[in-house]
Amino acid sequence: MIRSDPSQPPYEPDAIESRIAELEARHRAALRRIAELEARDARKTEFFANISHDLRTPLSAVVTHAEILRDGILGLLTPPQQASIEGIIRGGRQLLAQVNEILTYARGEAGQLTLVRSPIEVRELLTQVLTLNEPLAARKELTLELRAGEGLPRVLADRAKIAHVVGNLLGNAIAFTPIGGQVWVDAQRADIDGAPAIRFEVGDTGIGIAPEHHDLIFREFAQVDSSASRRHHGTGLGLAIARRLVELHGGRIWVESALGEGSRFRFLIPCSSESP
Amino acid sequence: MTELEGRERGVGPHVLIVEDDANAADALRILFSETGHRVSLAYSARRAVQLATDDPPDLLLLDLTLPDGDGLEVIDRLRAVGIALGTVVALTGHDHPDVKEECRAHGCAEVLTKPVSIRELLRKAPGWIEAGGRGAGDRG
Repeated sequence: MIRSDPSQPPYEPDAIESRIAELEARHRAALRRIAELEARDARKTEFFANISHDLRTPLSAVVTHAEILRDGILGLLTPPQQASIEGIIRGGRQLLAQVNEILTYARGEAGQLTLVRSPIEVRELLTQVLTLNEPLAARKELTLELRAGEGLPRVLADRAKIAHVVGNLLGNAIAFTPIGGQVWVDAQRADIDGAPAIRFEVGDTGIGIAPEHHDLIFREFAQVDSSASRRHHGTGLGLAIARRLVELHGGRIWVESALGEGSRFRFLIPCSSESP
Repeated sequence: MTELEGRERGVGPHVLIVEDDANAADALRILFSETGHRVSLAYSARRAVQLATDDPPDLLLLDLTLPDGDGLEVIDRLRAVGIALGTVVALTGHDHPDVKEECRAHGCAEVLTKPVSIRELLRKAPGWIEAGGRGAGDRG
């Protein structure tokens, strides 16, 4: 028997071999279990994608039927009837937006999201997303500000997906900023390992996020528990989707925030994004 | 749900709606027939080809996912037998730019994501029908 280390107790070779065999068996069992869980996770993702698609179809039909009534194609409505139909359409469209988020998430998980790149004027894109969110911000009397200056380089990226990321961040900023607060979007020249990039920022003077939650919030289904987040009914997928879409471009996303001090969500997108 | 697949009597420009969800198809049927169009309805690619062959539409609203195949195959099959289609507008279930490119390559005038705003449909339909009708005129 080799006794190279006198501090270690002696082992019988048979005992060592049987211990190794036992560990190898446990290792194989663990690998099988991991494979099983991964397969189950993939099936759930597929289920998500399918159910989202199947939810969309009847919901779309509901919205179209309601719009036909609203626009008086089958006869004019009284103002209260009109208001009620508007409610159906608004609710239907909100529900559709949530189902779309789940569908995007499931696609991302299944590796089915691809980028369609075109040169993007950053300021123009930010203006468009801001305009879409103006009614929401106005309802909470928030100041909505575009801070990005002129003369930014164009980015070669997937326009719809970058708009989706900014839209998700802006939606959160508006939801988590108390009445009368400020929300802004910004874009600055930056770099990723020396290569030109744009650093986007969506900031607010809202409730802020404790540093220990900064990683958690980018995980799926995560909402930091607070009265404000309970009031804000979301899918809990918005930031997970944002992270995936940014990473798909070879960029990264993070947050700078502390409780009570507002939040600045930032993400980097390379100017000529190659697949990572 | 009542089966409404088939041709409708009436006057006005011919709109062929190809959509496998009967409820969604019905909404579009009501919209177009109540606004002065002659509407045909197909729930499958096979039926769409049949209806368009018998009576080529001025406007073809085409859902891309059909029970018996890809909506774009309807265009291919009709072109293969020399049917001069009117304007083709593709309807997709969700925004998917890859599909957009493919639709344009197949000659679709536009690709709309469902649910399509009916105001947008009614605003654009006259232009589509005019363009589609001209194509039909060239034929005969």
